[in-house]
Amino acid sequence: MTRVPFTFPLANGLHARPASLLQELCLRFDAVVVFRNSRRGRRADAGSVLELVSSGTMAGDPCLLEVSGPQEKEAAQALRAFLRRDLLQAEDNLPPSAAPGAGEGGWLPPFFRGGALRLHHGRAVSPGIGRAIAVLRQGRVSMPRRFASGRKGPAQESRLFREAMERTMAELRGQAEASGDPVAAGILKAHLAILSDPRFGGKIASRIAAGRLPAGAAIEKTAAEFAAAMRRSPSVYLRERAADIDDIAARLGETLYGKRRDAAPDLPPGGCIVVAGALSPSELLSLDRRPLRGLVLGEIGSTSHTAILARTLGIPAVALPRPALAGIAAGEELVVDGRRGLVLEQPGPALRRYYRLEQEHLRRLEQRRARLAAQPARTRDNVRLEVAANIGSVAELDPAWRSGAEGIGLFRSEALFLERDGPPGEDEQCEAYSRVARTAAGRPVIVRTLDVGGDKRLPYLRLMREENPFLGYRAVRFYEEHGDLLRCQLRAILRAARCGRLKVMVPMVTRTEEVRLVRRLLADAAAELRDRGVPHADSVELGVMVETPAAALSIDLLAREAGFFSIGSNDLLQYTMAADRGNPRLAGLHDPLHPAFLRLLQQAAAQARKAGRWLGLCGEMAGNSELLPLLVGIGFNEVSMAPGRIPAAKERLAELESGECRALLRRVLAAADATTAAGLLGEFNARGEAGEAISAELVRLDSPCRTPGEAIKELCCLLELSGRVGNSAALEDAVWKREEAYATDLGFGFSLPHGKAAAVKSASIAFLRSRKPFHWSPAGTPVQAVLLIAVPEKAQGEEHLRLIARLSRRLMHEEFRAALLAARDAAAVLRALQQCLGGG
Amino acid sequence: MKIVAVTACPTGIAHTYMAAEQLEKAARKLGHGIKVETQGAMGIENELKAREIQEADAAILAADIAVQKRERFDGKRIVETSVQEAIKHPEAVLERLARP
Repeated sequence: MTRVPFTFPLANGLHARPASLLQELCLRFDAVVVFRNSRRGRRADAGSVLELVSSGTMAGDPCLLEVSGPQEKEAAQALRAFLRRDLLQAEDNLPPSAAPGAGEGGWLPPFFRGGALRLHHGRAVSPGIGRAIAVLRQGRVSMPRRFASGRKGPAQESRLFREAMERTMAELRGQAEASGDPVAAGILKAHLAILSDPRFGGKIASRIAAGRLPAGAAIEKTAAEFAAAMRRSPSVYLRERAADIDDIAARLGETLYGKRRDAAPDLPPGGCIVVAGALSPSELLSLDRRPLRGLVLGEIGSTSHTAILARTLGIPAVALPRPALAGIAAGEELVVDGRRGLVLEQPGPALRRYYRLEQEHLRRLEQRRARLAAQPARTRDNVRLEVAANIGSVAELDPAWRSGAEGIGLFRSEALFLERDGPPGEDEQCEAYSRVARTAAGRPVIVRTLDVGGDKRLPYLRLMREENPFLGYRAVRFYEEHGDLLRCQLRAILRAARCGRLKVMVPMVTRTEEVRLVRRLLADAAAELRDRGVPHADSVELGVMVETPAAALSIDLLAREAGFFSIGSNDLLQYTMAADRGNPRLAGLHDPLHPAFLRLLQQAAAQARKAGRWLGLCGEMAGNSELLPLLVGIGFNEVSMAPGRIPAAKERLAELESGECRALLRRVLAAADATTAAGLLGEFNARGEAGEAISAELVRLDSPCRTPGEAIKELCCLLELSGRVGNSAALEDAVWKREEAYATDLGFGFSLPHGKAAAVKSASIAFLRSRKPFHWSPAGTPVQAVLLIAVPEKAQGEEHLRLIARLSRRLMHEEFRAALLAARDAAAVLRALQQCLGGG
Repeated sequence: MKIVAVTACPTGIAHTYMAAEQLEKAARKLGHGIKVETQGAMGIENELKAREIQEADAAILAADIAVQKRERFDGKRIVETSVQEAIKHPEAVLERLARP
């Protein structure tokens, strides 16, 4: 028996998606794999998703895989590699949960009070605002009663069950393929894995065969057992997975009894909000999404698959306690506020106006996000740094482009080669590469040639087993022996390169000869295509993936053969530190801030620059926005990362100044150790943007606002749209809490609302002037000019506070107020303010 | 008259300084000498020295929160008011000093 110990790494515990990956891998080998969690004293068959999930494994649990059987060695090796890489990526693409911070603790600005017929505090499940009439949907809480009554004898029931299984699985597969969304497809595949779990199906089948239970009852009982095991889990996340089992069982039961789900009541085309005590992921997917404006759900966790789907599909959703839910009547107007976690029944005119403003604001935010995504990534001082995506399959293309990838910095081609009995043919590969190239629409795509051997094994590629696969016969090292396989791949790339800018990157290079070999194979591939008369690109750019210290230290030599370089930071770090990154006891060694590693990167970049070669960086390091200042300092041409990290990287990049980054790099390189380096970097990142406190985009003249609520909202939204505030609702609440102490109208037609909130990134001032004066406080005189001051919770740098103090003092002078009231345009307001802020 | 004053509001961002400005303006207009200490988000600024307090005829504490180092004014003639009052009617606040 081989033992593979590890510490469970995923924050959300061992849930269905990672478990289905692990199961899938185990089933590929003729081996028995037992999973043990020694903290919880649980044992599970790793071939069973349900048992794995039921183990209740949480992040940090000490675990052990026991592998035995004929393919023990191969399985253990594959499992080690899995733990090291794929498992860590199982959570990468989860959409973020609703932003916390606003509406917490039940406190709301005063204008909410009494503004709606009823107002319910719930939990924000998916952000956004929905406003429409309520459609009530009977939640399918338990299986139909009649499932329990059998119709036929055991033999017939067994046959019916088998057929239902096959039909349901085919349906799920079809739905997953048609979903066109990787998150939805992932959830459906996890359901498929549970359904095809031998423990699940086998148990049902044996209950039916023994004649003890009819098919429906056997499904219900088995599902209930598994769901109960999950509900006992210490992890909230895992407890929420029980809903998946219920969903699968109901689906299976419905197929079994030939009853179409009473799904999809026709939703009113004018828009509606669906109110449902329980809504399974498959039910949500079956709803017509065009008129769907929002969801009000019963007890649902924010990590349940229904919640994840709602976020992915961009449907605002709030979860309410059952009594509140039951009070909502069909046909009444609702507002679902997925920011504050509120549901409002029949809002009055003031709140309707308020939410129209909010919806308009969210539209502008989305436009801003899209604009940011579309913008070329560059630093504040206009230094270009391409931000690209790493992808492993064609399915990931869409999210990559949507999030603003400027290219594909790493297309891992091995996904095409895994999990099959023979290598993919030239046409099949050409089809995949062509699709990537076509959707890239002119943006560059770097295809990494086959990177297997060692950890990733292909049954049809007979490579010898090795003691030390990561230092073994992998990637480019077997290209000579398996020239056919490589020429086939290169032919496919050359053909597809007619559709776009494909480049070829060679993994695991240590010697110039290896690049020369690939160049020869590339020439051979082109000659073969020419002989066959197949249209293809004349040439493609050939580059080197820098993963070994040998390559990093000889860029100048490799540059004679290679047109570009991209650093594979995961392996390069592992090889530099001689520390397996899957080994939890060595986690401290796996630090990209180690002086040796940073020096290596800097030297490699200097050599690449000298040789006039393009240099990229793909690997986890590239997607860490904290490290971005160092990467800018080193002078990479490109950073390539998981698609979900691209918007944050572009936004951070726009705040950086390349000279400051270089200065930081010099200080970090001079640091004695990684801890000191991390301190310097942290200090740099914590430093607020030293920009101006006000800009033209923060001035609004001629505002239609008629209440303090609208004025404050408008100003907070301006601040969020300018990127100075993370979540305007949180700032709004802070400002209103301050107003509650006493109203901030000053008389003279002015009001000076202000607040401190963690959501504020740098102290800022926003100004509006309303078309008509309005009342701010009951006792006060009408207000026409509103200056809003936003200060970070931990006000760093007193400079801004000093400016605001000066501004407050200046407001006591009539000439200044008159200038603000008379200003003809935003520029005049800015002049008046800057004069006040700048003048001693 | 020689006056010392302290202003302090809950967030210490704006009203503390507006009140200080108003008191200074009104004192100038009425021909008094004044020094105003602000207790705001930047801490204590323009701090009153022991001698200045000692030499002053009276002290104004315009605060919506507890004034720090209040013991400095023990035995002094003190007019207490809110920050808002000092902003809206600074002259009225100063006139209260004149009354015995």
